[in-house]
Amino acid sequence: MKARLLIVDDSMVIRNLIARQMLDERLPPIDLVDLAGDGEQALAIALSRKPDFITMDLTMPNMDGEACIERLAEVLPGARIMVVSALSDKATALRAISKGAHGFLHKPFSEEQLVAALLELMS
Amino acid sequence: MNYRALNHEDIEVFSEAISAFFLNMTHEPAVVRTAYLLDGSASPLWGDFNGVIDVSGGFRGSITFSAPHGMLSQVLMAIGEREHSVDRCLDVVGEIANMMSGRARRHFGEELAISPPAARPRTVPPAAARATGVPFAIPLRWRAHEANLVVHLDIRR
Repeated sequence: MKARLLIVDDSMVIRNLIARQMLDERLPPIDLVDLAGDGEQALAIALSRKPDFITMDLTMPNMDGEACIERLAEVLPGARIMVVSALSDKATALRAISKGAHGFLHKPFSEEQLVAALLELMS
Repeated sequence: MNYRALNHEDIEVFSEAISAFFLNMTHEPAVVRTAYLLDGSASPLWGDFNGVIDVSGGFRGSITFSAPHGMLSQVLMAIGEREHSVDRCLDVVGEIANMMSGRARRHFGEELAISPPAARPRTVPPAAARATGVPFAIPLRWRAHEANLVVHLDIRR
């Protein structure tokens, strides 16, 4: 079965960084990586491509990450979502998890922290 | 409504945030120098690109990361980005400002509402913040490049 990843972030630089990291041999192989720049795009892509794993920024234009996680939990309940955000306060992390996120990685992150978080997401 | 200016402890949070960004993302520490007040006699030297976060909630003002093209190109290279175009520089300068604001929110609490980053070239200088207190500039050096984090915030008492 092919594993699919959706990377959601309004920064192309961060989207590319996470996508490149997926080539790391410590991570399980991913067959398809999709990219979205905001929550609305993410929902549309998620509905058509049905990703298994999603990394989700929170502060984005159009639809923010929290609203997107809430919708994804309804329409794609099997997807595992990890928040990757600069919002590093505890209340934000707990709220994201209560809405359906499975993990939280704070920006700025090191390569090692990103790999560890992705491994946990995909375990 | 009463607002207070930033104090020493607040400023320290931003200095730590800059250090954390360069150390984590590029594996090379930045030299973060002492913050100073932009009290009218001094004005920030806006770099080639400015990433601006507007804040609201119990706060008013903005957080701006301002850097030269050369620094941002090398940051992009350090994090593995092959393209160093103007668009990528605008993207990364906004993202750095976003990370500074996120760290500030951990310090000030979730009442600090932050906007998505707005990134602008030097030809479009940042608009004046809605804050009335005196802004701080935190200068830093990374590799051979100088940049500034300009924090202009009022905090509701």
